[in-house]
Amino acid sequence: MSSKDGGTLARRDVLKTLATVASAPLSPNLAGVTAATAAATIVAAQAEPTPAATSTAPVAGYQSLGPDEAAFVEALVNVMCPADQFTPNGVDCGLATFIDRQLASGFGRGEHLYMHGPWRQGKPQLGYQLPLTPEQFFKAGIAAANAACRTRFGKDFDALSAADADAFLQDLAKGQVTDTRVPLAQWFNGLVYPLFTQACFADPIYGGNADKVFWRMIGYPGLPATHARDMVEFRGKPYPGAKDPKSIADFS
Amino acid sequence: MATKLNKRSVVIVGGGLTAALVARQLTAKGTDVLVLERGVDRRKAAEAKIPSQRDELRWDIRGGLGQDWAVETYTVRHSRNEDALPARRLGAFLPGEGLGGAASHWNGFTWRWSEYDPTLRSRFETRYGKSAIPADLLIQDWGVTYAEMEPHHHLFEKLFGISGKAGNINGKIQSGGNPFEAPRRDDYPQPPVEPTEAGLIFKGACEKLGYKPFIAPSGNSSGTYTNPDGMKLGQCQYCGHCERFICEAQAKATPDTLLYPVLFQRKNFEIRLQCRVLGVDYDREAKRVLGVRYVDLITGEEYEQPADVVVLAAFTMSNTRFLLLGGIGAPYNPATGEGVVGKNFCYQTNSAINIFVRDRWINPFLASGSTGVSIDEFNNDNFDHTGLGFLGGGGISANLPNGRPIGSRRVPPGTPSWGTKWKEANAAWYAHSFSLQVQGSSYPHRENYLDLDPVYNDVHGQPLVRITFDWRDNDMKMSEYCTKKMEDIAKSIDATILGPAMPRKSPFDTRPYQSTHVTGGTPMGTDPKTSVVSQHLQHWDAQNLFVVGASVYPHNAGYNPTGVLGALALRLGDDLGSYVERPRML
Repeated sequence: MSSKDGGTLARRDVLKTLATVASAPLSPNLAGVTAATAAATIVAAQAEPTPAATSTAPVAGYQSLGPDEAAFVEALVNVMCPADQFTPNGVDCGLATFIDRQLASGFGRGEHLYMHGPWRQGKPQLGYQLPLTPEQFFKAGIAAANAACRTRFGKDFDALSAADADAFLQDLAKGQVTDTRVPLAQWFNGLVYPLFTQACFADPIYGGNADKVFWRMIGYPGLPATHARDMVEFRGKPYPGAKDPKSIADFS
Repeated sequence: MATKLNKRSVVIVGGGLTAALVARQLTAKGTDVLVLERGVDRRKAAEAKIPSQRDELRWDIRGGLGQDWAVETYTVRHSRNEDALPARRLGAFLPGEGLGGAASHWNGFTWRWSEYDPTLRSRFETRYGKSAIPADLLIQDWGVTYAEMEPHHHLFEKLFGISGKAGNINGKIQSGGNPFEAPRRDDYPQPPVEPTEAGLIFKGACEKLGYKPFIAPSGNSSGTYTNPDGMKLGQCQYCGHCERFICEAQAKATPDTLLYPVLFQRKNFEIRLQCRVLGVDYDREAKRVLGVRYVDLITGEEYEQPADVVVLAAFTMSNTRFLLLGGIGAPYNPATGEGVVGKNFCYQTNSAINIFVRDRWINPFLASGSTGVSIDEFNNDNFDHTGLGFLGGGGISANLPNGRPIGSRRVPPGTPSWGTKWKEANAAWYAHSFSLQVQGSSYPHRENYLDLDPVYNDVHGQPLVRITFDWRDNDMKMSEYCTKKMEDIAKSIDATILGPAMPRKSPFDTRPYQSTHVTGGTPMGTDPKTSVVSQHLQHWDAQNLFVVGASVYPHNAGYNPTGVLGALALRLGDDLGSYVERPRML
C-alpha cells in the first residue's frame, strides 16, 4: 500500500466511506488506486457511473469481505506482493479479489470438508480440526490478528508501515503471534498462505493473476498445452509460448 | 424401508478399474454383471473438455475429482493408545469417485513388480535365513506366483496399450530396459514415451555411476493405439494435466476410455451410477453373502440388491470397511495378533530432492503423467541387505509429471515465502529445476492397521474407517539408505543448487499429498489365520464373496500398484467365470 504514511486516508476508511454511499456504483478500477485518488473517484462515482472496465484489472467489489476485512486483505496482499519489476501490487494483480471470491465460493463455505463433531484439537499432522468453514476461520483470524496488532503496535494491521506489516506476517508464520482462541500460525500457514499462492498462480478466471502476470513471470505457457511436438522440439530449449501465456478465457 | 430388487448373478461394488476388468472377463462368457458406483460418468463433462480441463485450482488443488470428504473421510492416529481424529480434508492420498474410479485420474505408471514380490517371505528366508524378518513385520507370501500372473499382466498391458521398453524377455536381458524386470514374454505394446530434459539429465548421471536407467512403463500413450477390444488411444500431448485430471485427448489408458465403452455394448452388463452401497448382507451360519444394500443418490431411496456373487471392488479402505460393517471375518487385533480384517495396511515410503540447474531448460510443463526415467538397483530386494538392518528398497527416478504453477514450483532453500525475493526465485528457477524421487516399499507392521472408528460416522450414520499408521523403524531405515543413494546421484549432476535430501520420518502427516498407493486391509494368502481372502481372492468365511483391489496386497513394493491390480482383477474375472459355472471354494 502506498498510502500508509502518516496522515493519509487509510484504504479502510475509503471503503468505509464507500459503504455509506448507498447508490454509488463502484469504479472497476478503484481496487488498486491510492487512497487519495480513490477519494476523488468517490466523488466522480456519485456524479456519474463509471464505464465498465475493458482491461484485465480486477473487478471491484467484494462478495464475502466487509470493509474492515477487505482493508486487512488488501494490506496483506500488497505486503506479500509489492509492486516491483515483476508484477504490480497484490491488489492490482487481483489477489484480494481472488481471496474474496474463494471465501464466498463452495470452498469458503466448507464444501468437501468433513464437518461432524466431536471437535477436538490434536497433533498438527492430523490437520485442521476447528468447527469453522474456511470463510469463518479466515475472518476469525483477521479479528485475532488485528487484535494482536493493536496490542503490539497500537493500530490495526492495515495501518502498519510496510516493514512492520511484513515483520508481523513473518511472526505469524513462525507462530510468534498468538491468540487465546484462534490458532494463528495454523490460520496463516494453512489457510492464508495457500490462498495467497493460489491467488498468484491460478487461472485468471478466478480473479487473481490479472493479465496472467504471474504465469508470464515464471514462464508458464498455460493453455492449450498440446505439446506432443514441443516435447521433442523444445526439450532443453527456451519455449517461445512461455512469453505469452494463454488462459481459460482465451479459449472461451 | 428398502425396496427389494430381483436377484442378479454377480454384483460388483465400485465402478473403477478392477470392476471393469472383472466384468470384461465375466460378461464375455455370458455371465450377467451389475456394477454399483457412487459417482458419475464425467467423460462429457467439464472435467474432460478444453478449456475447463486445464484448471489446476478446480481439479487439483480443490480435489474436484476425488472422494467427497464431507460425505465420508477417515480418522487417523499414529498408535493405538491415541484418540484418532477425522481427516477433515485429507491431503495425503486421493481415492477416486465416479466411472473409472481413481484410475480415471491417475498418472499412468504401470509396473510388473519384482518376480519375487508375491513370494516375499520365502525370498527373504531363503536369502537371509529364517530369522531375517523381524517378528513385528507381517510379511507373507501371496499364494500366487509371478509366473501364474504373467498371462494376466500380458493381457492388461495389451488392453491398456502400455508404452515402455522391455528389460527382460523370457529371461534374456534387453539393453535400454530395466534389467531387474520380471521376465516378460514380449516387448511392451508401444514404444516408451518421450523422456523429459530432467529425465535425460538423470539418465546421464546414472550411466556415469554405472547404473542402468530406463524409461518407466507408462499408461500415457506414446502413439496412437488400438487394443484387442478395438478401443483406441490417441497420442499423449504431454500437457502436464494428468494425475488429478481426466485426459481430454483419450491418450491416457483408463477404464472409462478403454473398458467401460466395451461393456456398455454388452447386454449382460449394467452399471448404476450415483448408487452408494451401504453394506453387504451376510448369513453367518450359511457362510454366504445374500447381496448388498444401497442408496440411490438421485432419489434418496434405499434398495436391497440380492446376488449370487458379490465382488468388493471399491477403494482400499472401503473394501475393509464393508467387511467390518457386515461382520464378515474376524477383525484384526494388534494386541494379540489374531484376526485378519484390517491387517497388513501399508503405504508408500517416499522421499525427494530438489535440483536447480541454471543453464538447462527443464520446461516442466512439457510432461506426461508417467514420463519418468528410473533405476531399480536399490528397489525392493534387488540389492544385498546383509548387515543393513532393514528390508525393502525403492525405485529412484526423475519423474517430472507436470509444471502446474500453483503446486509444482521449486525454489532454492532459504528463499523467503513472499515478496520481491520470492518472486525473483520463482522467475529464476521455475524452468530450471526438477526433483528426484525415491518411491519406497512399505512393509506390513503389526501396529499399522484399519478398524472402525468408535466415535465418527459418515453422512449415512455408519462408522468411518480408522487408520492407525506411522512410519516404523524398518521403513525409515530403508528410506534413509535409499535417500542417500538418490542424493549421491544428485550430487553427481552438475547442479547450481541442491535442496536437502529428506528421508521419510515419523510422524505420518495427513496434510501434504504423498501417494495414493495405500494397500492392504484384506490381505490375500493361503492361510485363513493370516489372510482375509484366498489366493483366488475368495473370502474364507463367505464362499460367494470376492475382494479385489490393492486391499488384497500383503505388502506394498517400491512400485506403483496398478499393474498388479490389473493382473489380479483379470485373473479374478477368469476364476469367477469358473466359479459361476460351479460354485465352490476355488
